[in-house]
Amino acid sequence: MTIWTPTDDGYADLTSHDTFERGAPHNTFARLRREDPLHWTEYAGGQDFWSVTRQADIAAMNKNTAVFSSARGIRMEDQSYEEYLARRTFQETDPPEHSQTRMLLMRAFSRTVMAQYEEDIRALCDEILDVALAKGTFDATKDIARQLPMRMLGRVLGLPEADLPWLVEKGDALIANTDPDFTSHVLDKMDTDEFRMMPFNSPAGAELYGYAKELMAAKETSGDTEGVLHLIRQPAKDGSVISETEFRNFFCLLVAAGNDTTRYSIAAGIQAMCHQPELLGQMQQGGDIWETAPDEVIRWATPALYFRRTALADYEMHGKTIRAGDKVLYWFSSANRDEAVFDDPFRVDLFRTPNRHMSFGQGGPHVCLGMWLARLEVRVLFQELAKRLKSIEPAGPHKFLRSNFVGGIKELPVTVIPA
Amino acid sequence: MHVTWKLPGGGAIEADVDPGLTLMEAAVANDVPDVIGECGGCLSCATCHVYVDEGWRDKVGGPGETEEVMLDMVAGERTAASRLSCQIEASEALDGLVLIVPEV
Repeated sequence: MTIWTPTDDGYADLTSHDTFERGAPHNTFARLRREDPLHWTEYAGGQDFWSVTRQADIAAMNKNTAVFSSARGIRMEDQSYEEYLARRTFQETDPPEHSQTRMLLMRAFSRTVMAQYEEDIRALCDEILDVALAKGTFDATKDIARQLPMRMLGRVLGLPEADLPWLVEKGDALIANTDPDFTSHVLDKMDTDEFRMMPFNSPAGAELYGYAKELMAAKETSGDTEGVLHLIRQPAKDGSVISETEFRNFFCLLVAAGNDTTRYSIAAGIQAMCHQPELLGQMQQGGDIWETAPDEVIRWATPALYFRRTALADYEMHGKTIRAGDKVLYWFSSANRDEAVFDDPFRVDLFRTPNRHMSFGQGGPHVCLGMWLARLEVRVLFQELAKRLKSIEPAGPHKFLRSNFVGGIKELPVTVIPA
Repeated sequence: MHVTWKLPGGGAIEADVDPGLTLMEAAVANDVPDVIGECGGCLSCATCHVYVDEGWRDKVGGPGETEEVMLDMVAGERTAASRLSCQIEASEALDGLVLIVPEV
Protein backbone atom coordinates (compact mmCIF):
# COMPACT_ATOMS: atom_id res chain seq x y z
CA MET A 1 0.00 0.00 0.00
CA THR A 2 1.31 3.40 -0.95
CA ILE A 3 1.27 5.68 2.03
CA TRP A 4 2.45 8.87 0.40
CA THR A 5 0.99 10.42 -2.75
CA PRO A 6 2.85 13.13 -4.64
CA THR A 7 0.71 16.06 -5.74
CA ASP A 8 2.48 17.51 -8.79
CA ASP A 9 0.60 17.28 -12.10
CA GLY A 10 3.24 15.12 -13.79
CA TYR A 11 4.60 18.00 -15.84
CA ALA A 12 6.49 20.02 -13.21
CA ASP A 13 9.29 22.35 -14.27
CA LEU A 14 12.44 20.66 -12.96
CA THR A 15 14.48 23.81 -13.50
CA SER A 16 12.32 25.87 -11.14
CA HIS A 17 13.29 26.07 -7.49
CA ASP A 18 9.68 26.91 -6.67
CA THR A 19 8.60 23.45 -7.87
CA PHE A 20 10.55 21.85 -5.02
CA GLU A 21 8.95 23.96 -2.30
CA ARG A 22 6.13 21.41 -2.49
CA GLY A 23 8.56 18.49 -2.26
CA ALA A 24 10.25 16.68 -5.13
CA PRO A 25 7.84 16.35 -8.09
CA HIS A 26 7.58 12.58 -8.01
CA ASN A 27 4.66 12.28 -10.42
CA THR A 28 6.79 14.06 -12.98
CA PHE A 29 9.76 11.80 -12.30
CA ALA A 30 7.52 8.70 -12.54
CA ARG A 31 6.16 9.86 -15.91
CA LEU A 32 9.66 10.53 -17.21
CA ARG A 33 10.90 7.11 -16.06
CA ARG A 34 7.95 5.57 -17.89
CA GLU A 35 7.74 7.68 -21.05
CA ASP A 36 10.98 9.53 -21.61
CA PRO A 37 13.85 8.29 -19.44
CA LEU A 38 16.36 10.46 -21.31
CA HIS A 39 14.46 13.73 -21.34
CA TRP A 40 15.63 16.93 -23.03
CA THR A 41 14.85 19.62 -20.47
CA GLU A 42 14.60 23.25 -21.50
CA TYR A 43 16.24 25.63 -19.07
CA ALA A 44 15.64 29.39 -19.20
CA GLY A 45 18.57 29.96 -16.81
CA GLY A 46 21.26 28.53 -19.10
CA GLN A 47 22.17 25.61 -21.32
CA ASP A 48 19.35 23.06 -21.80
CA PHE A 49 20.14 19.57 -20.51
CA TRP A 50 19.32 15.87 -20.46
CA SER A 51 17.41 14.60 -17.41
CA VAL A 52 18.21 10.97 -16.57
CA THR A 53 15.62 9.46 -14.24
CA ARG A 54 16.00 5.66 -14.23
CA GLN A 55 18.22 4.04 -11.60
CA ALA A 56 19.83 1.59 -14.04
CA ASP A 57 20.76 4.34 -16.51
CA ILE A 58 22.32 6.52 -13.82
CA ALA A 59 24.25 3.51 -12.50
CA ALA A 60 25.72 2.82 -15.95
CA MET A 61 26.62 6.46 -16.61
CA ASN A 62 27.91 7.37 -13.16
CA LYS A 63 30.89 5.03 -13.35
CA ASN A 64 31.65 6.01 -16.93
CA THR A 65 33.79 9.02 -16.07
CA ALA A 66 35.59 8.82 -19.42
CA VAL A 67 32.39 10.04 -21.07
CA PHE A 68 30.58 11.87 -18.26
CA SER A 69 32.86 14.39 -16.61
CA SER A 70 32.49 16.29 -13.35
CA ALA A 71 35.14 18.79 -14.41
CA ARG A 72 32.67 21.19 -16.05
CA GLY A 73 30.61 21.75 -12.95
CA ILE A 74 28.16 19.66 -10.95
CA ARG A 75 25.15 21.98 -10.72
CA MET A 76 22.40 22.82 -13.18
CA GLU A 77 23.63 26.42 -13.21
CA ASP A 78 26.40 26.92 -15.76
CA GLN A 79 29.79 28.38 -14.91
CA SER A 80 32.36 30.09 -17.06
CA TYR A 81 35.76 28.39 -17.09
CA GLU A 82 37.10 31.22 -14.97
CA GLU A 83 34.36 30.74 -12.39
CA TYR A 84 34.85 27.01 -12.44
CA LEU A 85 38.56 27.36 -11.64
CA ALA A 86 37.86 29.81 -8.84
CA ARG A 87 35.14 27.74 -7.18
CA ARG A 88 35.99 24.12 -7.77
CA THR A 89 36.77 21.41 -5.24
CA PHE A 90 37.70 17.78 -5.88
CA GLN A 91 33.98 17.21 -6.46
CA GLU A 92 34.57 18.97 -9.77
CA THR A 93 37.44 16.78 -10.92
CA ASP A 94 37.68 13.39 -12.66
CA PRO A 95 39.97 10.42 -12.02
CA PRO A 96 42.94 10.27 -11.73
CA GLU A 97 43.11 13.82 -10.35
CA HIS A 98 40.04 13.21 -8.20
CA SER A 99 41.49 10.02 -6.76
CA GLN A 100 44.67 11.80 -5.64
CA THR A 101 42.79 14.26 -3.45
CA ARG A 102 40.31 11.71 -2.27
CA MET A 103 43.08 9.39 -1.10
CA LEU A 104 44.33 12.10 1.24
CA LEU A 105 40.95 12.24 2.94
CA MET A 106 39.52 8.75 2.79
CA ARG A 107 41.31 7.44 5.84
CA ALA A 108 39.74 10.12 8.01
CA PHE A 109 36.26 9.12 6.83
CA SER A 110 36.56 5.33 6.69
CA ARG A 111 33.91 3.16 8.27
CA THR A 112 36.30 2.03 11.00
CA VAL A 113 37.41 5.55 11.93
CA MET A 114 33.83 6.79 11.95
CA ALA A 115 32.70 3.92 14.18
CA GLN A 116 34.90 5.39 16.92
CA TYR A 117 32.55 8.39 17.11
CA GLU A 118 29.53 6.30 18.11
CA GLU A 119 29.64 7.08 21.82
CA ASP A 120 30.28 10.79 21.13
CA ILE A 121 27.24 10.86 18.89
CA ARG A 122 25.13 9.08 21.50
CA ALA A 123 26.14 11.62 24.14
CA LEU A 124 25.26 14.49 21.80
CA CYS A 125 21.89 12.87 21.01
CA ASP A 126 21.22 12.66 24.77
CA GLU A 127 21.73 16.40 25.16
CA ILE A 128 19.85 17.37 22.02
CA LEU A 129 16.84 15.13 22.67
CA ASP A 130 16.58 16.11 26.36
CA VAL A 131 16.21 19.75 25.36
CA ALA A 132 13.92 19.21 22.36
CA LEU A 133 11.52 16.61 23.75
CA ALA A 134 10.95 18.59 26.95
CA LYS A 135 9.26 21.23 24.82
CA GLY A 136 6.44 18.88 23.81
CA THR A 137 5.71 20.76 20.59
CA PHE A 138 8.66 22.00 18.53
CA ASP A 139 10.28 22.25 15.10
CA ALA A 140 12.06 18.90 14.66
CA THR A 141 14.31 20.19 11.89
CA LYS A 142 15.58 23.10 13.96
CA ASP A 143 15.72 21.45 17.37
CA ILE A 144 16.87 17.94 16.42
CA ALA A 145 17.91 17.44 12.80
CA ARG A 146 19.98 20.60 12.52
CA GLN A 147 21.74 20.12 15.86
CA LEU A 148 23.46 16.76 15.52
CA PRO A 149 25.37 17.17 12.22
CA MET A 150 26.42 20.69 13.19
CA ARG A 151 27.93 19.54 16.45
CA MET A 152 29.54 16.47 14.90
CA LEU A 153 31.13 18.65 12.24
CA GLY A 154 32.70 20.60 15.09
CA ARG A 155 34.11 17.38 16.55
CA VAL A 156 35.41 16.01 13.26
CA LEU A 157 37.07 19.29 12.22
CA GLY A 158 38.19 20.24 15.70
CA LEU A 159 36.28 23.56 15.82
CA PRO A 160 35.29 25.46 18.96
CA GLU A 161 31.69 24.73 20.02
CA ALA A 162 30.94 28.46 20.26
CA ASP A 163 31.64 29.00 16.54
CA LEU A 164 29.29 26.30 15.33
CA PRO A 165 25.97 28.18 15.04
CA TRP A 166 27.67 30.90 12.97
CA LEU A 167 29.36 28.32 10.75
CA VAL A 168 26.16 26.43 10.10
CA GLU A 169 24.31 29.63 9.30
CA LYS A 170 26.98 30.38 6.69
CA GLY A 171 26.88 26.80 5.42
CA ASP A 172 23.13 27.11 4.94
CA ALA A 173 23.56 30.37 3.06
CA LEU A 174 25.95 28.57 0.72
CA ILE A 175 24.11 25.43 -0.12
CA ALA A 176 20.56 26.73 0.20
CA ASN A 177 21.52 29.72 -1.91
CA THR A 178 18.12 29.72 -3.60
CA ASP A 179 15.97 29.91 -0.45
CA PRO A 180 15.26 33.40 0.96
CA ASP A 181 14.98 31.91 4.47
CA PHE A 182 18.69 31.04 4.32
CA THR A 183 20.35 33.77 2.30
CA SER A 184 19.78 37.38 1.39
CA HIS A 185 21.51 36.69 -1.95
CA VAL A 186 18.97 34.41 -3.61
CA LEU A 187 20.85 32.99 -6.57
CA ASP A 188 18.15 33.10 -9.25
CA LYS A 189 16.47 36.29 -8.01
CA MET A 190 19.16 38.90 -7.89
CA ASP A 191 22.43 39.84 -9.39
CA THR A 192 25.07 37.95 -7.42
CA ASP A 193 27.73 38.76 -9.95
CA GLU A 194 29.92 40.31 -7.29
CA PHE A 195 30.43 36.89 -5.71
CA ARG A 196 30.72 34.74 -8.78
CA MET A 197 34.32 33.79 -7.97
CA MET A 198 33.38 32.75 -4.43
CA PRO A 199 32.33 29.23 -3.43
CA PHE A 200 28.66 28.67 -4.30
CA ASN A 201 28.53 32.18 -5.81
CA SER A 202 27.81 33.45 -2.30
CA PRO A 203 29.08 36.15 0.06
CA ALA A 204 29.06 33.51 2.81
CA GLY A 205 31.88 31.82 0.87
CA ALA A 206 34.08 34.85 1.47
CA GLU A 207 33.29 34.93 5.18
CA LEU A 208 33.98 31.23 5.62
CA TYR A 209 37.27 31.64 3.83
CA GLY A 210 38.33 34.29 6.31
CA TYR A 211 37.37 31.99 9.16
CA ALA A 212 39.27 29.01 7.71
CA LYS A 213 42.42 31.06 7.26
CA GLU A 214 42.41 32.26 10.86
CA LEU A 215 41.66 28.77 12.08
CA MET A 216 44.58 27.23 10.20
CA ALA A 217 46.93 29.98 11.37
CA ALA A 218 45.91 29.28 14.97
CA LYS A 219 46.37 25.53 14.45
CA GLU A 220 49.83 26.09 13.01
CA THR A 221 50.86 28.29 15.94
CA SER A 222 49.69 25.71 18.46
CA GLY A 223 51.20 22.80 16.51
CA ASP A 224 47.79 21.12 16.14
CA THR A 225 48.03 18.57 13.32
CA GLU A 226 44.82 16.69 14.09
CA GLY A 227 41.96 16.20 11.72
CA VAL A 228 40.78 16.45 8.16
CA LEU A 229 41.89 20.03 7.57
CA HIS A 230 45.46 19.02 8.21
CA LEU A 231 45.19 15.93 5.99
CA ILE A 232 44.06 17.83 2.92
CA ARG A 233 47.11 20.06 3.10
CA GLN A 234 49.53 17.13 2.88
CA PRO A 235 51.32 16.57 -0.43
CA ALA A 236 49.58 14.13 -2.78
CA LYS A 237 51.36 11.12 -4.26
CA ASP A 238 52.86 13.25 -7.03
CA GLY A 239 54.09 15.86 -4.53
CA SER A 240 51.47 18.48 -5.41
CA VAL A 241 49.90 20.52 -2.61
CA ILE A 242 46.43 22.01 -2.47
CA SER A 243 46.28 25.74 -3.32
CA GLU A 244 44.83 28.42 -1.02
CA THR A 245 41.78 28.68 -3.26
CA GLU A 246 41.20 24.95 -3.28
CA PHE A 247 41.57 24.82 0.49
CA ARG A 248 38.99 27.59 0.91
CA ASN A 249 36.60 25.78 -1.38
CA PHE A 250 37.13 22.48 0.41
CA PHE A 251 36.42 24.08 3.78
CA CYS A 252 33.21 25.56 2.41
CA LEU A 253 32.26 22.19 0.97
CA LEU A 254 32.74 20.47 4.35
CA VAL A 255 30.73 23.07 6.20
CA ALA A 256 27.92 22.97 3.66
CA ALA A 257 27.79 19.29 2.65
CA GLY A 258 28.66 18.00 6.10
CA ASN A 259 25.58 19.64 7.54
CA ASP A 260 22.51 19.79 5.48
CA THR A 261 22.48 16.31 3.96
CA THR A 262 22.44 14.54 7.31
CA ARG A 263 20.08 17.18 8.68
CA TYR A 264 17.52 16.57 5.94
CA SER A 265 17.91 12.80 6.25
CA ILE A 266 17.02 13.02 9.94
CA ALA A 267 14.14 15.40 9.19
CA ALA A 268 12.72 13.06 6.53
CA GLY A 269 12.98 10.14 8.94
CA ILE A 270 11.06 12.04 11.62
CA GLN A 271 8.45 13.04 9.04
CA ALA A 272 8.11 9.36 8.10
CA MET A 273 7.60 8.43 11.77
CA CYS A 274 4.75 10.97 11.93
CA HIS A 275 3.03 9.54 8.86
CA GLN A 276 3.72 5.84 9.40
CA PRO A 277 3.10 5.35 13.11
CA GLU A 278 4.15 1.68 12.91
CA LEU A 279 7.77 2.78 12.39
CA LEU A 280 8.18 3.82 16.03
CA GLY A 281 7.13 0.38 17.29
CA GLN A 282 9.45 -1.33 14.82
CA MET A 283 12.35 0.81 15.97
CA GLN A 284 11.54 0.08 19.60
CA GLN A 285 11.69 -3.66 18.90
CA GLY A 286 15.32 -3.06 17.93
CA GLY A 287 17.67 -5.78 16.66
CA ASP A 288 18.36 -6.25 12.97
CA ILE A 289 16.33 -3.21 11.96
CA TRP A 290 19.35 -1.01 12.70
CA GLU A 291 21.32 -2.75 9.96
CA THR A 292 18.84 -1.54 7.35
CA ALA A 293 16.92 1.44 8.77
CA PRO A 294 19.58 4.14 8.23
CA ASP A 295 19.81 3.48 4.49
CA GLU A 296 16.03 3.47 4.13
CA VAL A 297 15.75 6.81 5.93
CA ILE A 298 18.48 8.18 3.67
CA ARG A 299 16.77 6.77 0.54
CA TRP A 300 13.50 8.35 1.63
CA ALA A 301 15.20 11.71 2.17
CA THR A 302 17.47 11.92 -0.92
CA PRO A 303 18.90 15.30 0.13
CA ALA A 304 21.10 15.55 -3.00
CA LEU A 305 18.36 15.70 -5.62
CA TYR A 306 20.73 15.53 -8.59
CA PHE A 307 24.31 15.95 -9.72
CA ARG A 308 25.31 17.23 -13.11
CA ARG A 309 27.88 15.83 -15.54
CA THR A 310 29.06 17.02 -18.94
CA ALA A 311 29.50 14.62 -21.87
CA LEU A 312 33.03 14.46 -23.32
CA ALA A 313 31.97 12.23 -26.22
CA ASP A 314 28.76 11.22 -28.00
CA TYR A 315 26.72 8.59 -26.15
CA GLU A 316 23.72 6.61 -27.43
CA MET A 317 20.85 5.81 -25.10
CA HIS A 318 17.13 5.05 -25.59
CA GLY A 319 17.43 5.83 -29.30
CA LYS A 320 18.84 9.30 -28.69
CA THR A 321 22.32 10.75 -28.86
CA ILE A 322 23.86 12.73 -26.06
CA ARG A 323 26.40 14.92 -27.87
CA ALA A 324 29.86 15.82 -26.61
CA GLY A 325 29.47 19.04 -24.62
CA ASP A 326 25.88 18.29 -23.54
CA LYS A 327 24.89 18.77 -19.94
CA VAL A 328 23.42 15.73 -18.20
CA LEU A 329 21.62 15.60 -14.84
CA TYR A 330 21.44 12.40 -12.79
CA TRP A 331 18.21 12.75 -10.81
CA PHE A 332 18.97 10.64 -7.73
CA SER A 333 15.63 11.72 -6.33
CA SER A 334 13.92 9.88 -9.18
CA ALA A 335 16.26 6.87 -9.07
CA ASN A 336 15.36 6.40 -5.39
CA ARG A 337 11.67 5.98 -6.26
CA ASP A 338 12.27 3.78 -9.33
CA GLU A 339 9.66 1.01 -9.26
CA ALA A 340 12.00 -1.18 -11.32
CA VAL A 341 14.36 -1.32 -8.33
CA PHE A 342 12.21 -0.74 -5.22
CA ASP A 343 9.03 -2.58 -4.26
CA ASP A 344 6.46 -0.04 -3.12
CA PRO A 345 8.93 2.86 -3.40
CA PHE A 346 6.52 5.33 -1.77
CA ARG A 347 6.54 3.48 1.51
CA VAL A 348 9.22 3.65 4.16
CA ASP A 349 10.25 0.04 4.88
CA LEU A 350 12.93 0.09 7.54
CA PHE A 351 13.74 -3.56 6.80
CA ARG A 352 14.29 -2.97 3.08
CA THR A 353 17.14 -5.14 1.81
CA PRO A 354 18.95 -4.95 -0.50
CA ASN A 355 18.50 -1.20 -0.68
CA ARG A 356 20.23 0.04 -3.80
CA HIS A 357 19.47 3.71 -3.28
CA MET A 358 21.63 6.46 -4.75
CA SER A 359 21.45 9.11 -2.08
CA PHE A 360 25.24 8.99 -1.72
CA GLY A 361 25.82 9.02 -5.47
CA GLN A 362 26.65 5.31 -5.32
CA GLY A 363 28.08 3.72 -8.43
CA GLY A 364 30.78 6.27 -9.23
CA PRO A 365 34.06 7.63 -7.89
CA HIS A 366 32.35 10.61 -6.23
CA VAL A 367 30.35 8.45 -3.84
CA CYS A 368 29.84 10.46 -0.65
CA LEU A 369 32.98 10.68 1.45
CA GLY A 370 30.94 11.14 4.61
CA MET A 371 28.52 8.26 4.05
CA TRP A 372 29.64 6.23 7.06
CA LEU A 373 29.35 9.22 9.36
CA ALA A 374 25.91 9.99 7.93
CA ARG A 375 24.69 6.41 8.44
CA LEU A 376 26.06 6.35 11.97
CA GLU A 377 24.48 9.68 12.93
CA VAL A 378 21.12 8.59 11.50
CA ARG A 379 21.22 5.22 13.25
CA VAL A 380 22.18 6.54 16.68
CA LEU A 381 19.76 9.47 16.51
CA PHE A 382 16.78 7.24 15.71
CA GLN A 383 17.83 4.63 18.29
CA GLU A 384 17.87 7.31 20.97
CA LEU A 385 14.73 9.05 19.73
CA ALA A 386 12.67 5.85 19.56
CA LYS A 387 13.71 4.93 23.12
CA ARG A 388 12.31 8.19 24.46
CA LEU A 389 8.96 8.36 22.64
CA LYS A 390 5.45 7.12 23.28
CA SER A 391 4.16 8.92 20.19
CA ILE A 392 5.04 11.60 17.66
CA GLU A 393 2.57 13.51 15.48
CA PRO A 394 2.62 16.45 13.09
CA ALA A 395 1.75 19.76 14.80
CA GLY A 396 1.08 21.62 11.56
CA PRO A 397 2.17 21.58 7.93
CA HIS A 398 5.85 21.09 7.12
CA LYS A 399 7.78 23.24 4.65
CA PHE A 400 10.33 22.21 2.04
CA LEU A 401 13.45 24.11 1.10
CA ARG A 402 13.22 26.26 -2.03
CA SER A 403 15.89 24.42 -4.00
CA ASN A 404 16.01 21.97 -6.89
CA PHE A 405 19.47 20.86 -5.72
CA VAL A 406 19.00 20.10 -2.01
CA GLY A 407 15.78 18.35 -1.05
CA GLY A 408 14.81 18.90 2.54
CA ILE A 409 12.13 19.71 5.07
CA LYS A 410 13.20 23.02 6.56
CA GLU A 411 10.33 23.28 9.05
CA LEU A 412 8.78 20.23 10.68
CA PRO A 413 6.43 21.03 13.56
CA VAL A 414 5.78 17.98 15.74
CA THR A 415 4.15 17.12 19.04
CA VAL A 416 5.63 14.31 21.11
CA ILE A 417 4.52 12.34 24.12
CA PRO A 418 7.58 11.00 25.94
CA ALA A 419 7.70 7.31 26.87
CA MET B 1 33.43 -19.45 -14.27
CA HIS B 2 32.11 -20.84 -11.03
CA VAL B 3 32.72 -18.91 -7.80
CA THR B 4 31.96 -19.55 -4.15
CA TRP B 5 31.65 -16.88 -1.45
CA LYS B 6 32.04 -18.35 2.05
CA LEU B 7 30.03 -16.28 4.52
CA PRO B 8 31.33 -15.29 7.97
CA GLY B 9 28.37 -16.81 9.83
CA GLY B 10 28.80 -20.17 8.00
CA GLY B 11 27.15 -21.12 4.74
CA ALA B 12 28.09 -20.05 1.24
CA ILE B 13 26.73 -18.50 -1.93
CA GLU B 14 27.71 -20.03 -5.28
CA ALA B 15 27.22 -18.64 -8.76
CA ASP B 16 28.30 -18.94 -12.38
CA VAL B 17 29.81 -15.65 -13.47
CA ASP B 18 30.32 -14.38 -17.03
CA PRO B 19 33.95 -13.65 -17.89
CA GLY B 20 34.66 -9.91 -17.96
CA LEU B 21 32.48 -9.05 -14.99
CA THR B 22 34.29 -8.14 -11.79
CA LEU B 23 33.83 -10.29 -8.72
CA MET B 24 32.32 -7.23 -6.98
CA GLU B 25 29.65 -6.97 -9.69
CA ALA B 26 29.03 -10.70 -9.40
CA ALA B 27 28.71 -10.45 -5.61
CA VAL B 28 26.21 -7.58 -5.85
CA ALA B 29 24.18 -9.45 -8.48
CA ASN B 30 24.04 -12.47 -6.17
CA ASP B 31 23.22 -10.46 -3.02
CA VAL B 32 26.37 -11.52 -1.19
CA PRO B 33 26.06 -9.69 2.14
CA ASP B 34 28.63 -6.99 3.00
CA VAL B 35 30.17 -6.91 -0.47
CA ILE B 36 28.54 -3.65 -1.48
CA GLY B 37 30.67 -1.92 -4.09
CA GLU B 38 29.38 1.56 -3.29
CA CYS B 39 31.55 3.30 -5.90
CA GLY B 40 30.77 0.94 -8.76
CA GLY B 41 34.34 -0.33 -8.97
CA CYS B 42 36.20 2.99 -9.20
CA LEU B 43 38.52 2.34 -6.23
CA SER B 44 36.83 5.05 -4.22
CA CYS B 45 35.08 3.24 -1.38
CA ALA B 46 36.75 0.00 -0.15
CA THR B 47 33.37 -1.71 0.35
CA CYS B 48 33.97 -4.87 -1.71
CA HIS B 49 36.66 -6.41 0.51
CA VAL B 50 37.13 -10.19 0.35
CA TYR B 51 39.76 -12.73 1.37
CA VAL B 52 41.09 -14.94 -1.42
CA ASP B 53 41.12 -18.58 -0.35
CA GLU B 54 44.64 -19.89 0.34
CA GLY B 55 44.91 -22.12 -2.75
CA TRP B 56 43.89 -19.32 -5.16
CA ARG B 57 46.18 -16.49 -4.12
CA ASP B 58 48.90 -17.04 -6.72
CA LYS B 59 46.40 -17.29 -9.56
CA VAL B 60 44.47 -14.20 -8.46
CA GLY B 61 47.59 -12.16 -7.72
CA GLY B 62 48.13 -9.28 -5.32
CA PRO B 63 46.64 -5.80 -5.10
CA GLY B 64 47.66 -2.93 -7.39
CA GLU B 65 49.15 0.32 -6.12
CA THR B 66 45.94 2.25 -5.47
CA GLU B 67 44.16 -0.82 -4.20
CA GLU B 68 47.01 -1.30 -1.74
CA VAL B 69 46.23 2.11 -0.18
CA MET B 70 42.48 1.52 -0.24
CA LEU B 71 42.86 -1.80 1.58
CA ASP B 72 43.92 0.15 4.66
CA MET B 73 40.38 1.51 4.86
CA VAL B 74 38.36 -1.68 4.69
CA ALA B 75 35.94 -2.67 7.39
CA GLY B 76 37.01 -5.96 8.91
CA GLU B 77 40.56 -7.08 9.45
CA ARG B 78 43.04 -6.66 6.62
CA THR B 79 45.21 -9.74 6.02
CA ALA B 80 47.66 -11.00 3.39
CA ALA B 81 44.64 -12.54 1.65
CA SER B 82 42.75 -9.22 1.38
CA ARG B 83 41.67 -7.94 -2.04
CA LEU B 84 39.05 -5.52 -3.30
CA SER B 85 36.87 -7.71 -5.46
CA CYS B 86 36.14 -4.91 -7.95
CA GLN B 87 39.74 -5.36 -9.05
CA ILE B 88 39.40 -9.09 -9.78
CA GLU B 89 37.98 -9.90 -13.18
CA ALA B 90 36.12 -13.14 -13.79
CA SER B 91 37.86 -15.42 -16.28
CA GLU B 92 37.95 -19.12 -17.10
CA ALA B 93 41.40 -19.27 -15.51
CA LEU B 94 39.71 -18.57 -12.17
CA ASP B 95 36.99 -21.23 -12.59
CA GLY B 96 36.27 -22.68 -9.15
CA LEU B 97 37.52 -19.61 -7.25
CA VAL B 98 36.73 -19.46 -3.54
CA LEU B 99 36.40 -16.08 -1.78
CA ILE B 100 35.79 -15.53 1.91
CA VAL B 101 33.59 -12.64 3.03
CA PRO B 102 35.13 -10.79 6.00
CA GLU B 103 33.32 -10.28 9.25
CA VAL B 104 32.51 -6.57 9.67
